[in-house]
Amino acid sequence: MHEWHENQPIYQQLKEQVLHRILTGTLAEGDSVPSVRQVAAEERLNPLTVTRAYQLLTDEGLLEKRRGLGLFVSEGARMRAISSERETFLREEWPRIRARIDALGIDLTTLISGESK
Amino acid sequence: MTSMNVIEAQGLVRRFGAVTALDGFNLTVPSGRIVGLIGPNGSGKTTALRAILGLSRLDGGVLRVADCNPWQDRSRLMQNIAYIPDTGILPRWMRVRDLIDYAEGVHPGFDRTRAERLLSKTSVDPARTIGGLSKGMQVQLHLSLILAINAKLLVLDEPTLGLDVLYREQFYESLLGDFMEGDRSILVTTHEVREIEHVLTDVVFIRKGKSVLAESIDTIREQYLKLTTGATTNVPGGYLSRRTSLAGVEYLYRGVSRGQLEGLGDICIPDLVELFVASMQSEAVTVTEPHKETQHA
Repeated sequence: MHEWHENQPIYQQLKEQVLHRILTGTLAEGDSVPSVRQVAAEERLNPLTVTRAYQLLTDEGLLEKRRGLGLFVSEGARMRAISSERETFLREEWPRIRARIDALGIDLTTLISGESK
Repeated sequence: MTSMNVIEAQGLVRRFGAVTALDGFNLTVPSGRIVGLIGPNGSGKTTALRAILGLSRLDGGVLRVADCNPWQDRSRLMQNIAYIPDTGILPRWMRVRDLIDYAEGVHPGFDRTRAERLLSKTSVDPARTIGGLSKGMQVQLHLSLILAINAKLLVLDEPTLGLDVLYREQFYESLLGDFMEGDRSILVTTHEVREIEHVLTDVVFIRKGKSVLAESIDTIREQYLKLTTGATTNVPGGYLSRRTSLAGVEYLYRGVSRGQLEGLGDICIPDLVELFVASMQSEAVTVTEPHKETQHA
């Protein structure tokens, strides 16, 4: 069980956790994910929150339901996760980082060499 | 089935002499949900629960629980609901094993195999007498018996009162793992808001016998925002509450977009404790009709 931060709904945080595990490969394609009931009990979360997170991942094609067996990481989930995360990065994170770089006046050479002057 | 309400209470009134314990109380518990009834001591929580369980008569209002009128159809009601009160009521002189025999004998919906399986996951020894068990073990035993009843609604009154952190964690784990399925529902009262925040799907705050806030947790996450700011000018009006903290002044809003607050300070989703404190302090949170009572803390 772990702490949740306050800036995002919990189902969103749970979704991102699973997404992160798919990205890093600790959840491989074809792996099953724990049942709603199991996650709810382990994390002390209400089952609707867990269901909602899984639903989002299913809608994005990262998880798939196999009748009678539960939810699995679908084929091609990792590539889909990477491309959706890339888009998010370029759309939301990069402009902020870019603005910060500009504000601090760091040039490209310094950035790439990673040294501070 | 899933759209059905297990509890529907409208305008409940209950008076004890000069004291009005319930003063137009409303509550809806849809099936498949975990609803927290949260209020300070003396706010009417226990009276509301007693009415729901058919243990207390009402002086007004309409109440349906699992399709029954609790006061009139109490025995039919008991086949569909299970209840754990806030104090240990298991007979202390009885052995655990004998209590299981007893439960099997009196309750038509009791599943002995299930009770024994649940109990085997705990450290409760069936040969011990109940009086010899710790408070935590007694709660585990009670929960195992209750979870072995095929109930539509589980009512819990301050279920973790007096339990240590470990037992509390186990309690919620087995509640979520062993009870919640299909369209079963839980109604739980507590004043330990923080501990059950994430377990709940809905909250109802009760104050002086009235429900002052009833929202789903999703709505709270989507509709409420807290702004913490150093500035007190240019802050949008219509906030629910305002309080000064170490970090600055905190404003609580409902239905105001992030965009309207952007740039004014730190914006975050308030937790239940903050909402609770706000709704207990201010009259503004709710759309209750004005009433003439004087403030008595």
